[in-house]
Amino acid sequence: MPVLECKGLSKSYGAKRALDGVDLRVEAGRIVGLLGPNGSGKTTLIKLANGLLTPTQGRILVNGLEPGVETKRAVSYLPERACLPDWMSARDLMGFYGDFYADFDRQAAEDMLSRLGIDLRAGMKSLSKGNREKVQLIMVMARRARLYLLDEPIGGVDPAARDYILNTIISNYNPEASVIISTHLISDVEKVLDDVIFINQGKVVLAAPADELREQQGKSVDQIFREVFRC
Amino acid sequence: MLGKLIKHELRATAHTMLPVLGIMLLVSALANLGARVLNGREVPGVVTVIFTLVVILFVTGLLALGLVTVLLMVQRFRVNLLRDEGYIMHTLPVSVHAHIWSKVIVSTLWYALTGVTVVLSVMLAAMDIDFIRSMGQMLGDLGKLLFEDVRNMELLAEVLALLVLGGLAASLSFDAALSIGHAFASRKMLISVCVFVAMLILGQTAVYFVSETLYRTGLVELMDSHLTGFMQAWRVICAYAAALLTASGAICYGVTAWFLKRRLNLE
Repeated sequence: MPVLECKGLSKSYGAKRALDGVDLRVEAGRIVGLLGPNGSGKTTLIKLANGLLTPTQGRILVNGLEPGVETKRAVSYLPERACLPDWMSARDLMGFYGDFYADFDRQAAEDMLSRLGIDLRAGMKSLSKGNREKVQLIMVMARRARLYLLDEPIGGVDPAARDYILNTIISNYNPEASVIISTHLISDVEKVLDDVIFINQGKVVLAAPADELREQQGKSVDQIFREVFRC
Repeated sequence: MLGKLIKHELRATAHTMLPVLGIMLLVSALANLGARVLNGREVPGVVTVIFTLVVILFVTGLLALGLVTVLLMVQRFRVNLLRDEGYIMHTLPVSVHAHIWSKVIVSTLWYALTGVTVVLSVMLAAMDIDFIRSMGQMLGDLGKLLFEDVRNMELLAEVLALLVLGGLAASLSFDAALSIGHAFASRKMLISVCVFVAMLILGQTAVYFVSETLYRTGLVELMDSHLTGFMQAWRVICAYAAALLTASGAICYGVTAWFLKRRLNLE
């Protein structure tokens, strides 16, 4: 059974069609790049998988189920923006995640936080924007989830932070799980991807294993992306 | 999961509510001190100014405390479920119903604690030895009155139940207005306020028609007749009030749940 499956999935915001008849399957144990320019429908797709939006047409299934309480137990989601409550400390956050997610590995979270030198008692308000984003990533990656949905995890951060984020993802995800990374910064993530999905104007324009694509076209995924999405 | 949500909701709201209520009690104690110092004594002008300001602060605080609590609860619902924090809250493995109940239960608790704080503040500001004695006497008399007749206990229970129901219904009406307003792409707060005003007008219209119906049934004459008649009329009014509050609460609950499930718009 695929971890994520879309069947004729469409989503409209008023007259604007954000997703248009998307069909795709993501199998377990794969790292998938959901690649597309800004406004292509990546975030909408991820929000639909999280049950934050409801489809206008078609279906989206996580582990064979419509998004709901059961699927939320299996999905670990990193939103596009940092949204941790200001007043909470890293310790409070670990308590919070531990309370709601049975698969939350507190020890792993503490280890990652201590490597980053973050004071567990310090409130999120006192951390820099970059560190707040890293704390949020740590909370997400410290779960032993079946599906990780990471929306623009490296958008708007410096190259050193990108390396830290990608290393954190690669060294902490549950190997039996799938990871979907949405981004338009292809060159940074290319090396970790098993599969790529190109999405443009709400439609999937290409979905293939990354190695196969590179072999067939003799180019990097980044180069193929630039050609497909040339303005 | 509801218990866990309530636990975290209490922690998050206590973060702002406890200092607010604590400051009110502190100002009340200072107002008491101020009233004693200023009471017919010769004191330096600065002290007079300071304690006069404290007394003004006490009166203003007392009047504003209820409104502050409502605004803080409204803000909490908005920030936690309808803005950025919503990305975390709505992806927790809990139902929308658990989210609503946790918010409503905790808000109602803070409304009740605000009421208790107002009473305590007035007592604290007016307190002296005579006051404590008379309060003790009054509480003793009240206790006797309550235990002397089971109907008095029932009356008290009915009033308390109505207050709780009122707190729940009020909280749900704020949540419903916010959920509707925040489903729109822009001017979310303005639309929320407009929706709330429309809901108030609808509510008042319903109250007017129910009151008219009750008036025509001769309830007012019954109230004026004798104690038994008054109690019968009181029961009828309580039942109608409870029915109205339950109906408005249920409608607001349904609206909130539908908008959070089907029309969530976190952007």
